[in-house]
Amino acid sequence: MKRSLLFSLLVTLISFVAFAQQDVSGVVTDARDNSPLSGVSVFVKGTRTGTTTGQDGRFRISVPANGVLVFSFTGFTEKEVAVSGSSMSVALAVAQTALQEVVVTGYTTQNKKQYTGSVAKVSGSEVNLQPIASLEQLLQGKSPGVLIQSQSGQPGSAAAVTIRGKGSVLGGTQPLYIVDGIQVTGADFQSINPADIETYNILKDAVATSQYGSRGANGVIVVTTKRGKNAKTVLNYDYQYGVQQFPESKLVLMNSKEKLDYEIYYNRPEGLNPFGWSQADYDSLSKINADWEGAMFRHAKTNQHILSATGGNDKTRFFISGSIFTQDGLVRTTNLKRYTGRVNLDHTAGNFKVGISTTVGYSKFSGTDENDNVISTPLNAYRWTMPYITPYLPDGSYNLGDPGDNPNPLPDLFLNTNLNKQLKAIGAISLEYKIPYVKGLSARTQWGIDFTDNQNENYTDLNTQANNVVPGRSGSFNANSLRRIRSTGTTSLNYEKKAGDHTFGIGVFNEVIKRSTVTNGYTGFGLVGPIKNAAGITPGTPTNNFIPRVGGGATEEGILSWFAIANYDYRNKYFVNLTGRRDGSSRLAEGKKYVNYGGVGFGWAITSEGFMAGQKIFDNLKLKVSYGSAGNAEIGDSYEALEQFGPTSYNGIGGLILTNLKKDQLTWETRSTANAGIEFAILKNRLSGGVEVYNSITDGLYLNRLLSSTNGTGSIVTNLGKMRNRGIEVSLSFDLVKGKDLNININGNWSTNKSVMLELDGNDEIVNGISINRIGERANSVYLVKYAGVDPDNGDALYYKADGKTTTNIYDPADAVIAGSFDPKGFGGFGATVSYKGLEVSTLFNYQYGFDIYNNARADVENPQYWFSELSRDVLREWQHPGDITDIPSPFSDFQYATTRFLEKGDFLRFRNIMIGYSLPKSIIGKWKISSLKVFAQGQNLYTWHNFKGYDPEVSTGALTGAHYPALKAITFGASIGL
Amino acid sequence: MKSTVKYIIALFVAGFLFSSCKKVVDVDPSHTIDGDGFFNTVDEYDFALTGAYQRLKRNGLYGGVNGGSMFLSAADIAADNFYNGPNNLGNLNTAFRWNYTADNASVQGAWDDAYLVIQQANLSMRGIDRFATTDALKVNRIEGQARVIRALMHFELLRWWATDYDRNSTALGVPYVDKFDIEQMPARPTVKQTYDKLETDLKAARTMLSNTDRSIQSTTSTAGTARAYVDRMVCDALLARMYLYANELDSAIKYSTIVINARPLASASVFPLIWEDASTAEVIWSIKYQSGEPALAREVYQTSGDQLSWAPVDALLGLYDAGDIRGDIYWVSRNSRIVLGKYFAKSTASGNPDGVVDFKIFRTGEMYLIRSEAYARKTGMGTQALADLNALRTARNAATGNETGAALLTAIQTERRKELLMEGHRFFDIKRTTRTINRTQDCSTFCTLLPANRAWAFPVPQTEMLANPNMVQNPGY
Repeated sequence: MKRSLLFSLLVTLISFVAFAQQDVSGVVTDARDNSPLSGVSVFVKGTRTGTTTGQDGRFRISVPANGVLVFSFTGFTEKEVAVSGSSMSVALAVAQTALQEVVVTGYTTQNKKQYTGSVAKVSGSEVNLQPIASLEQLLQGKSPGVLIQSQSGQPGSAAAVTIRGKGSVLGGTQPLYIVDGIQVTGADFQSINPADIETYNILKDAVATSQYGSRGANGVIVVTTKRGKNAKTVLNYDYQYGVQQFPESKLVLMNSKEKLDYEIYYNRPEGLNPFGWSQADYDSLSKINADWEGAMFRHAKTNQHILSATGGNDKTRFFISGSIFTQDGLVRTTNLKRYTGRVNLDHTAGNFKVGISTTVGYSKFSGTDENDNVISTPLNAYRWTMPYITPYLPDGSYNLGDPGDNPNPLPDLFLNTNLNKQLKAIGAISLEYKIPYVKGLSARTQWGIDFTDNQNENYTDLNTQANNVVPGRSGSFNANSLRRIRSTGTTSLNYEKKAGDHTFGIGVFNEVIKRSTVTNGYTGFGLVGPIKNAAGITPGTPTNNFIPRVGGGATEEGILSWFAIANYDYRNKYFVNLTGRRDGSSRLAEGKKYVNYGGVGFGWAITSEGFMAGQKIFDNLKLKVSYGSAGNAEIGDSYEALEQFGPTSYNGIGGLILTNLKKDQLTWETRSTANAGIEFAILKNRLSGGVEVYNSITDGLYLNRLLSSTNGTGSIVTNLGKMRNRGIEVSLSFDLVKGKDLNININGNWSTNKSVMLELDGNDEIVNGISINRIGERANSVYLVKYAGVDPDNGDALYYKADGKTTTNIYDPADAVIAGSFDPKGFGGFGATVSYKGLEVSTLFNYQYGFDIYNNARADVENPQYWFSELSRDVLREWQHPGDITDIPSPFSDFQYATTRFLEKGDFLRFRNIMIGYSLPKSIIGKWKISSLKVFAQGQNLYTWHNFKGYDPEVSTGALTGAHYPALKAITFGASIGL
Repeated sequence: MKSTVKYIIALFVAGFLFSSCKKVVDVDPSHTIDGDGFFNTVDEYDFALTGAYQRLKRNGLYGGVNGGSMFLSAADIAADNFYNGPNNLGNLNTAFRWNYTADNASVQGAWDDAYLVIQQANLSMRGIDRFATTDALKVNRIEGQARVIRALMHFELLRWWATDYDRNSTALGVPYVDKFDIEQMPARPTVKQTYDKLETDLKAARTMLSNTDRSIQSTTSTAGTARAYVDRMVCDALLARMYLYANELDSAIKYSTIVINARPLASASVFPLIWEDASTAEVIWSIKYQSGEPALAREVYQTSGDQLSWAPVDALLGLYDAGDIRGDIYWVSRNSRIVLGKYFAKSTASGNPDGVVDFKIFRTGEMYLIRSEAYARKTGMGTQALADLNALRTARNAATGNETGAALLTAIQTERRKELLMEGHRFFDIKRTTRTINRTQDCSTFCTLLPANRAWAFPVPQTEMLANPNMVQNPGY
């Protein structure tokens, strides 16, 4: 499409005097709404005579008798019309299929039919209305093979994204993110406006990921932002308003009466009634049931305004947008405010084409600590404080009278601040030059940066629990800054040629990526005055204990690459893609820095064969296979291979300590993937889908080789393992009803993946806490001693010995066995879209199954040693007398954490999204002088089916430590107006 | 036009070449030091030695939080000085209940952190021989200190992991690691072999520290920074302690005498200042903790939050006479509870006590008790033993006595319990004299620890057992 447009533009540039036989004038319109289309190229078939339509869609051209006019316009299907008469009106239809079938890999753009790799595509417009700040979360449930787990509902938090299983154990498993050709840090998406996104292309197999060489092993998410069109300027305004609430926890704690009963009547090592409650105390306290949730949480609001404009002419096109997004968190004081702006410009001048993409985002995020088990963390403290202690005293002050000295979470929540400010800028400029005289040869260079500036400020008030560990105990103020600049420079020469049945293209690339990170921070003490920021710090003296702490660091790293990407197509039937890349990285050991990657893919469009011409079953049938490799070096810090000494001090004197062991053999992890797939469409394209199978092997897997800790360090990262990920992905889409007014589509996807450990450098297994990697077993299997219940005679906790049969009351870590897996066996999503005229209802469900969660949050409230804090209601079933049959051991029995007692199934099905939208008909909005108006209502995470004892089973790390801030339920309303 | 094309193509080619610059993948750290290019002068070893001192403040050793402080708090909690207090977070309950297992994080922390100090000590000596002739006195100063730190950590390991302390015991000792080599998989030597290495290190250090290029301790410093480092006196104090454990009484007497003569007991008026870091009288070595670093004994009593995890048993409080100055310093009443006051705060922070104080790891008080016990164990030296014991009692304004024989030995142990409270001794004192722990107050089912129990020694951490095929687990685990 692009090339034909360029060609037609070229035609219009060249003035050509024709022998005018007939003047024809007319108007070109958009078939959807009959609005005029400007910039449409109109030329006489078989000649170079041409023109373009004006702002009003009108054109005038001289045509020979019986001539045929060709109308072409980016994004629309080309149309040929025979001339009859002196005026004509032409309606162009949107080239929907053509647009959707393009695969953008970041370095190349190819027709999907001709592409042999595995790429999942999600259009921005499908997902960008969800009230979620961080864009990777929007993709949940949308693409097979892409597992997205968000542990936190805190505004702006990032999700863990795993493509086709974790291919690494210690190294990074997050995919590479490319935004408009520039590598971008995924964790920063809170500062990018999802509404600016045109498409997400998720590269999964090796012929696709090998283009990214050493960074591609975990898959690549290629994001393209919206660009201007050669069309009348469209102004759009979007507004959204939403409310959110917390899901219900399935971990039920004791009420006041239960807790008092437990303290007074349950025998335990500390004796009965250790607080010495009198009957009068019992009577009054048991009536109180403090509303801690009410004190901590609120119904939170979301607000969003987006203004965008897009348009252009045949030379210059633009897309600009600005947005404001505010989201209050469910935990009081938490919130996110985001402001973004974007300018994307494209300009064509002769053989040159320049493009610029810039976005600036600023986000301000007030957070609270999560996923820890620290007592001062409000999300822990509110569950651990007594139910018979009210949050506030009658005079409105914080109630600090907990008899077990459990901290009141509210001072820490309200008085302390945790503020993160992020300034994010992504900018890229590209220059493309069609080299004249050599047809099909062009050169392109693109340089861009991903700039992040994080300012983090923490104020600790002297009246909070967190202040107890602050030196001087008089409050502290901590500020940290991080500035990261990653530049990506890509230069290429590209050549395309079509000769008869053969179409061939090749690009030769050079790429340089540099990253530099600078951090600085300080903590000052003695915030005794009214100023709660840096200005309030009391200067340190040798006597006041307020010596500030300062620190800083900087790292730099670079990747240097050369690579080539080629594609070949024979008669639109047989396709080949080839990639070869050589990468060097500064991170790795001397002599181990460089490695080669490559990929090859073959595709066969069976329905293009002559012998298929007669059949009526398949509208599309394509087979594809690919094989190749990509790498990963996301391990440790930038200087992981070096023996490093970091700064320290003793007695006021500076010194050095060993901070990193030398790893002179450290090199890449290499993931090789074989992929085979079939794509089909039947029933007149109404039922379409695909099945893919893959087998990927990670070699040189980073693992912690255990060392005798007598040398001072218990393990060292080494390329010593080998693992396999094998899986199947299925996606289907069925147009149940396809009519003029009524359309019903159902779609779904399912993926399964299994990671298996193949080699561990001579070892049988490597244990890491509660997980194990053992040859022949799933990677990161759960490794715990099996809990066998409670001995009715004495209340002891019983455990299975390693043989799995005999039980014992002696806990021995050597009895640990593989008890499950933290990674899901399967996951996916499904949904339906029903549209009737302007009304559209769409739903999305997502699910995960076959995985376990270690519930440390539950263990902490079932541990009878914490009798002086709030406990789970289940503890009321505690063994008390010989003969008691129960699952909760006696408090005299040693409490052990690392057992299957706290391992739970995580399977869930989530009603992820429902969207009800209505586009008002032209007949109404036409009177209001606007071009479109859509209103919608949306529900997010309305219900989740699960059995996990907690808020939500979506836990990305396998273990729920504590302080859980789960994904929120939300209802939003919005409107979109086009002018 | 053609020249423009050439120009542009040339530009692209130049772009390729420019990018090929090898500098992209050769980046040196700017905020850390690459060990390969460092340690080229003897002075650079000083930096690594400072690091070894810093490592002594690791969580698993003396000051610590959340289940650390295994050589300070745990040694008293596992003994008979405390019972479960009202705000116990359960972090050292395993020490109290003697139910440690090989995967216990606290046990592993003690093992790992002690060997981490040893690693850093070994790094401060790695290749220092190159300067042995050119810079002999500097080498003496640095290597002497590093050897004592290394020896101290091995001795601490021996205290928790050996089942027997006799000098010639064939029981399992702990691997003595005297060089930095991450690939080593040491076996467990006997206790005797461990002592052999300890003695070698300390004797060598003693010689080195007798002949250094300059004074090790700061000569002009105030109490806040004095006695911060290991010098020959510290080496002698450690030798005295080691010989007492090893039951080599003459040597214990010899080295404790050297220290006592060099550093007399503090007067009763100065003694309280020691605990506020306002005086270093009778302090032989204090590990310096500064504002913002871990609090001492936080596992027992968190001064900053007034969290009483472990409360003193009445039997212990009753041992201090009315006039005994230690009673008022070691124990204070706060919010109508008796709490550990020994590590309350530096005097400068007394308005806002945070528990951050120096750890007085060797004091002259202990040297008197070592010598007194050694005399008492020898036949016919009861007089000298009693003289030392009474000298200490007098200095603390406690009543003197006239004990002899077994009563004298008991009195010495009692005095150790009073004097060395929460300095990392009680459990090991009971262990090395092969007695039974008998708790009498609020001890639930954890009241008695008989000499045969496995819990007198920690298990070797599970990670070490998994990593090191030569490692042998302690009996009973």
